[in-house]
Amino acid sequence: MTSSPRPDARPKLEGTAVYGVDLEAPGMLWGALVPSPVAHGRLRSVDLAPARALEGVVAVGAAELAHLLPGSTGDPDRPVFPTSTLVYRSQPVAAVAAPTRELARQAAHAVRVDVEPLPVVSDLEEVFPEWPGSSSEGSPHVAAHVRAREGDVEAVFRTAGTVVREIYRTSSVHQVAVEPHACLAEVTEGRWRVRTSTQTPFGVRDDVATLLGVPEESVVVEGTWVGGGFGGKGAALLEPYALLLAKASGRPVKLSLGYREEFLLGRTTLPSVVRMETAVTGGRIVGRRVRLLLDVGTSLPGRDFATGFSIGFLLGPYRTPVFEVEGYAVRTNKPPFGPHRAPFAPQCAFVLESHLDHVAREAGLDPLAFRAAHLWKEGDTTPLGQRVGPFGLSSAFEKARATAARWRAEAGPDTGVGVAVGFWSTGTGAGGEARLRLSPTGLAVVQGEREIGSGSVLAGVASVAARATGLPREWVEVTYEDTSRAPFDSGVFGSRTTGVLGRAVEEAARSLLEELGHRLGGSGPVRLAVESGEVVVERGSVRRSVRELLSDAERTAGGLVANGRHYGKSGTIDERKVEAGTFYPYTDFTGAAHVAEVRVDRATGTVRVTRFGAFHDVGAVIDAATAVAQVEGGVVMGLGTALTEEALWSDDGRLLNPSLLDYRIPTIGEVPPIEVTFLEGFPGAGPFGAKGLGEPPMIPVAAAVALGVRDATGAHVTELPLSSERVARALKLL
Amino acid sequence: MTEAPGSLRVNGRTVPLENVPTSERLLDTLRWRLGLKGTKEGCRSGDCGACTVLVDGVSMLSCLTLTHEAEGSSLTTIEGISDDPLGRAVQAAFERAGALQCGYCTPGFVVALVGLLRERGTSASVEELLSDLGGNLCRCTGYVAIARAVELVRTEAP
Repeated sequence: MTSSPRPDARPKLEGTAVYGVDLEAPGMLWGALVPSPVAHGRLRSVDLAPARALEGVVAVGAAELAHLLPGSTGDPDRPVFPTSTLVYRSQPVAAVAAPTRELARQAAHAVRVDVEPLPVVSDLEEVFPEWPGSSSEGSPHVAAHVRAREGDVEAVFRTAGTVVREIYRTSSVHQVAVEPHACLAEVTEGRWRVRTSTQTPFGVRDDVATLLGVPEESVVVEGTWVGGGFGGKGAALLEPYALLLAKASGRPVKLSLGYREEFLLGRTTLPSVVRMETAVTGGRIVGRRVRLLLDVGTSLPGRDFATGFSIGFLLGPYRTPVFEVEGYAVRTNKPPFGPHRAPFAPQCAFVLESHLDHVAREAGLDPLAFRAAHLWKEGDTTPLGQRVGPFGLSSAFEKARATAARWRAEAGPDTGVGVAVGFWSTGTGAGGEARLRLSPTGLAVVQGEREIGSGSVLAGVASVAARATGLPREWVEVTYEDTSRAPFDSGVFGSRTTGVLGRAVEEAARSLLEELGHRLGGSGPVRLAVESGEVVVERGSVRRSVRELLSDAERTAGGLVANGRHYGKSGTIDERKVEAGTFYPYTDFTGAAHVAEVRVDRATGTVRVTRFGAFHDVGAVIDAATAVAQVEGGVVMGLGTALTEEALWSDDGRLLNPSLLDYRIPTIGEVPPIEVTFLEGFPGAGPFGAKGLGEPPMIPVAAAVALGVRDATGAHVTELPLSSERVARALKLL
Repeated sequence: MTEAPGSLRVNGRTVPLENVPTSERLLDTLRWRLGLKGTKEGCRSGDCGACTVLVDGVSMLSCLTLTHEAEGSSLTTIEGISDDPLGRAVQAAFERAGALQCGYCTPGFVVALVGLLRERGTSASVEELLSDLGGNLCRCTGYVAIARAVELVRTEAP
C-alpha cells in the first residue's frame, strides 16, 4: 500500500516540532512535586521552610491555597494537596519551583513530610480473599459495584451438560508514551494559561477550573505536539500544580516529569481477578456467570467507568441467553486507575477467549466452531438488551480462521496458531464542533485538538473534509487553536476523533456547500474542485471561482466560514436487567479478529510471535496509510501486554519496576510480520460509515497469543502477561 | 563545580561553553543552553534512545554523556543531520515509509540509523541493522514502518 506523506512528517523528522517537554519561556522556573513517602498514612505536617531556605525557591502546599485561591474551595473530593490522609506513594503533597531543574529537585527533597504510617492495602486478593458478599456494600474498599442478570442462572447451571469454572488474573500495565508529561504555566491578569502535552485541551481546562475552583473562562489551555498519549494524557495531571506555582512566584513555571515519576504517577490499568463460569448443553452456551474484581487504586470520583463498561467485554460479543455479571471496583493504595488504549478490554478479551476455548475443549467441541456459533451478528441482542448494529466481526472471524488453517498446515515443531476476537464501541457520545474556513487558496479546518500521532486529526479529519467537499487533501489544512478560540471538542480518546470530530466537519462542509450553492444560483448539490491553482465551486459543467463568490468582508476575514457540530447518541440498555451500579450502552459495534503464530521454547517457556494477521471491521477506511499504521502499532503494543508488560507492586504499595529497563515494552527485533486486512460494509457512526480504529487493534492480541501458546504446547495459561516464567510453570518446567 | 570555558563543535559550528557544571549532561546542554531541542528527553537513563546524537560519527546517548566528555569531538544532532546526503536519505525514507506517528522517538531513530549506516555501510543486512536499533524505543508504530524505512534506505542510500 502506498503511503501519502503525513503533513507532520517534516517537522518531526527535522526536530522542529515542539512538544510539552520542549516548552520554555523567558524567566521561567522549574517545578517539582513533593511525593508522599508512604502508600497510606496520616499527614501530620508538611514543612516547606527547608525548601524555601534555598535561594530562589518558591513552595506551595495545602496551607497556601487559601491565599492563592481566595474564595475557592476547589473540588472537595479531589483536593489538589491532601490535608489529612495520604493514599498512595508519590501522591503530590506539595510543589516547589526553582530557577534550575536540579535546584527544584533538591528543594522537593528538602521538604519535610511528617507522616504516621497506616496499614497499606496493595493487593486486591488481600482485600477480598473470598468473593465479596452483601456485607461489603458499605466497605471503604468498594469504589463501585455493578450487577446485572437475566434468567434463572442457578437452574441452568444445575442442569447443564458441562459446567466450567475458572479464575484469571491480569497485570497492571502502563501506557509508556515516550514523552513524559510536561507543561508550562503562566498566570497573568487573572488568566490561568497553560501550554501542555495533552489529548484533551478542553478536558484539562475543565479539570483545572474544577480542581482550582476558578471560572472556566479564566482558564486557557493550549496543546503542544503530543509525544504519545494512549489514554495517559487525557486529563489534568501536572497542570494545576504548575499553575499554582506560577501564581505563587509570578513567573512562568515548567513542570516536566522524569520517567521514574511518569511510572509512579501514571494513571493506568491496574490488576484484576476474574471468575468465569460457563454452562454448556448440546454444544450451546446456556448460561454464564462473570465476576470481576478490578483494582482501581485511589479511585477518582466519577472516573470509575471501568467496571460497568469493561464487564460487558467479559460477556460479549457472544450470544448469552442467561447470565449473571457482577463487578467490584476495589480501592487500593495505588495511583488512580486511568485509561490505557481500550481500557481493560485487552485483558477482558484474554480472559473471555481463553475461557471459551477451554470450555469448548472440556465439552469435547471444536473451539473455533464453538465460538463462531455464538458470535454476535447484526440484529442480535446484547445481554443487556441493546440491538447489535452493523457488525463485521463474524466475517472477520471466518477470515481469521481460514488464515489460521493455512498457517497451521505449515507450522513447524513447537509452533501453534491462536485465533481471537475482540469488540469495542467507538464514536462515543462525547461530542465535538469544528469550523471550516474556505478561501480561494484552500480549505482550513479550525479545531481544538492537537495531533497525538495516530493521524486522526491531521490525516483523518483532513481526509473527511476533503472527501466531504471534493477538494484534494493537499488543499485542506487542519489548523489548531487554543481553548479560548477553538470550537469545543471532547478530546482525542475513545477512538472517537475521526468519527465524531469528523462528523462535525462533515456537517460544516454540508452547510458550506449549501451556502455556496445559493451563491452560485440554480439548484442541486455543488462540490469544490481546483482549477488553475484556485478553488472553484462546480455544479455539473458550471464552475465559478470561490474568489468571485466571496464578499469583500469575507475576503478580509480570510474566507467563508461554516460551523458544524456532532453530539452523537448512544444506544440504550434494558435497565430492568440491572440490579446495581451503572452499565453503559454502546455507540457502534467495532470488532477485530486476530491470528497469532507463536513458537514456544520448550526448555525456557519463552514465547516468540512469528507472524500475525489482523482482520478489522472499520466500517469504512478514511485514510489507508494511517489506518494500517494504527493496526500495526496497536498489535505491537498488544504484544507487550501479552508477553512482558507488568508493573509490579510490593505489599507496601511501592512500584518495584518504574523504569524502561525493568518494565519491558516490545523492541524492534521482536516484531513479527503483520498482515492487515480491513472489512468494509458494516457501517458505523462516523463519517462515510467509518468506525474508530485507535483502540481495537490492541484488544484481541493477548488472547490470540495465549491461544497460540495453548495450540503449540497444550499449556493453558490463565494469567497475564505470558512471561516465560508463567509459561514454564504451565509446562511444569518449574 | 564548573570547569574553565571550553567549547563544543555541534553541527559544524563551534559554540563556547561557559559555566557548565562538570556533572551536566550533554542532553541538557544541547537542549537548554544551545536550544537544540530536536534531541528528545525520554527516560534520562539510557533505556529509550530518544536522545541519540552522533559523537564523531558514532551514535551515543546524550543523556548518559557528560558535556565535558564531548569537548573536542564533533557532534551531529537531528538539526544537523540533513547536512549530509546520508542524513537526508534516512529522513526521506522515514517520510516515504510513514515511519513516524507521534514523532517523539523519531529524531533518535534517524540519528541512530545514520550512525549505524556510517559504521556498517549500506551492505549491512536489514536484520543486523534492526538488531542494532534495539536500544531505540517506539510506542506508536510497532516498528513495522520503521523497518520498512530501514529497507528503503539500504537500497536507496547514497
